[in-house]
Amino acid sequence: MSVFYIVIQQIVNGLILGSFYSLVALGYSMVYGIIKLLNFAHGDIYMAGAFVGFGALGIFGSILGVGWAGITVALLISMILVGILGMLVHRLAYQPLLNKRAPRMSLLITAVGVSFTLFNGVMVLTNGEYKAFTTSLGYEGISIGPVNITYTQIVMVVATAVLMLCLYWFINRTMYGKAMRAIALDQDACRLMGINVTKTISLTFFVGSALAAAAGVMAGVYYGSIHFYMGFIIGLKAFTAAVIGGIGSIPGAMLGGLILGLLETAGTQLPFIGTAWKDVFTFGILILLLVLKPTGILGKSEIERM
Amino acid sequence: MSKKYLKKMAATLLVLGLAVTGCGNQAAAPSGSSSSQPEATGDAIKIGLPLPMTGSEATYGKDMENAIKMAVDEVNANGGVNGKKIATVTGDDACDPQQATAAANKLVSAGVVAIVGGYCSGAVVPTLTIYNEKNLPYVVEAANSSKIVAQNQGNTYLINGTAVHQTQKAVELFKKLGAKNVAIVEQGDAYSSDLAKQTESAWKEAGNTVISHDVTTKGEQDFSSLVTNLKSKNADLVFWTAYYADGALLIKQLRQGGYKGAIVVGDGSSDPKLVQMAGPAGEGTYVLSPPVAEFLPAAKQFADAYKAKFNQTPGAYAPLAYDGMKLMADALKRAGSTDGKAIIKALADTKDYAGLAGKVTFATDKTLKESNFIVLQIKGGKFVLQ
Repeated sequence: MSVFYIVIQQIVNGLILGSFYSLVALGYSMVYGIIKLLNFAHGDIYMAGAFVGFGALGIFGSILGVGWAGITVALLISMILVGILGMLVHRLAYQPLLNKRAPRMSLLITAVGVSFTLFNGVMVLTNGEYKAFTTSLGYEGISIGPVNITYTQIVMVVATAVLMLCLYWFINRTMYGKAMRAIALDQDACRLMGINVTKTISLTFFVGSALAAAAGVMAGVYYGSIHFYMGFIIGLKAFTAAVIGGIGSIPGAMLGGLILGLLETAGTQLPFIGTAWKDVFTFGILILLLVLKPTGILGKSEIERM
Repeated sequence: MSKKYLKKMAATLLVLGLAVTGCGNQAAAPSGSSSSQPEATGDAIKIGLPLPMTGSEATYGKDMENAIKMAVDEVNANGGVNGKKIATVTGDDACDPQQATAAANKLVSAGVVAIVGGYCSGAVVPTLTIYNEKNLPYVVEAANSSKIVAQNQGNTYLINGTAVHQTQKAVELFKKLGAKNVAIVEQGDAYSSDLAKQTESAWKEAGNTVISHDVTTKGEQDFSSLVTNLKSKNADLVFWTAYYADGALLIKQLRQGGYKGAIVVGDGSSDPKLVQMAGPAGEGTYVLSPPVAEFLPAAKQFADAYKAKFNQTPGAYAPLAYDGMKLMADALKRAGSTDGKAIIKALADTKDYAGLAGKVTFATDKTLKESNFIVLQIKGGKFVLQ
């Protein structure tokens, strides 16, 4: 394989990895944008999405098969149910604190608590076992020279792009999106204008969680196994991606995810030092990036209270 | 192996728990000296069996005791050893170092002439000196920690393979598969890293090349960039030394990325879940495994007899447990006496003793000269002996 093809293949690898990060990062960014909360339970929402999708595929797979039809139905069911889970988390855990204007740190700790509750709950329900996410998808695909791209990979990237475009349209072209953006600017003014702030925040949680659920189901399909702890690492990475892109910014989260995916892939390609140094390289670059532009690539500078 | 360590910890905790809640009597005073041939004890050769009979490892201990008693019954039915019958005395070590010491002293005072058993390495190590002081020969059947090898006083022989033996088998398999460009992938933890490093040096010592030695992060699901690297370096054999969960992901992604060469995984991945999780991509994968009765042709008859007698399938260490007792009986015969030193010498002289789990000859460090690891291959969705 010539260097050219290796580079192309690695860029493809990086983009696929990055699109998972982006989808999860969007949820972090949206929630932060609207209520300035770092929702550390978001990685576990992604995990819950994978398990709900797994269950739905188990039920509907017998009717629709475990091919694309079954997966699409499982994906939609998971997005709706986990979206509702996200709303429940907001209503039960966060909104009471927001109502009392609790300090931001209390909200943050609540988020950590929700994270532990979710993954320990799933651990008990699944006996901590790995579940094989069995589908009938094969490895067929297109080859350009020695570069392989499977159809599954293409569908994953296209689906991610479609979801992001939908989100972009929703935020910028609908009434609800306008309400979200308005609340991000000034909650009290929104209340005076007759916008139902609590409901809109709930909706934000629904959308963010649904996107994470989509990523969870796609990761289950793509990698083939799911586990109660699978949300931990990706949660941290997606959070990183959101910060790199500029937390609170929707295009920033998309961009941050892709950059992180590409950087990680590049990290395994370094000459002389082993793959064990991959994360050191990746996060070294990220620290440098933040030193140069503390608000992230597309972030706006504002005074932080945390 | 770290799985075993966890089990040991669990056992220790359980025993502690029992002691605290006041059920200590049961754990501290093991059912202990249960002789199997009471009519013969007067003039029988007594052999001690230190095994975990209580605690979380009790299933394994019971299973090994069953297999050992089958061997004893067989020997006695054929006239015993040197004109005498063999009787066994079980000492419950509960997989706990302290209780193991108490059990060992008990066996010694019961007048045993040899020791066969040992499941938990942590429970075997502190008893080595106790048996050695009395010149009692000890065949360790299942425990395989390098600590036992290091602290061996000279009277102890191990018939289960160690990490060294797995490495040996791996190199043998690589050669058989005609590998030129071997790539090793580990996860940076003590177990997988140790196996990876030992295999790398053994493979290099045999005059071959290792084209890459990669370390991945546990729990990370994406191996695509690693796969691209391995392909670009023309790897023709990939050796995964860590556990099955991430191993299945690597196997899948190697095949998905169009890798055509051989894939070999270590015993941490020898789990039926590997087959399930890797799916069709797993076909053809080679798996290094300890000798399990299910896959040993020589153990077929043993497995059937065990099933008929105890109404359950023999556990993972039953063949080794059976082998250990038969080997001790053989050594007793060859020694022609029950003198400890004579038996130890006879054990040392063991040459190509044919057991269920393979041939037994001891190396200078008193472990197996030849690896007893077996090679399985995934075929048609299940493990098949190679």
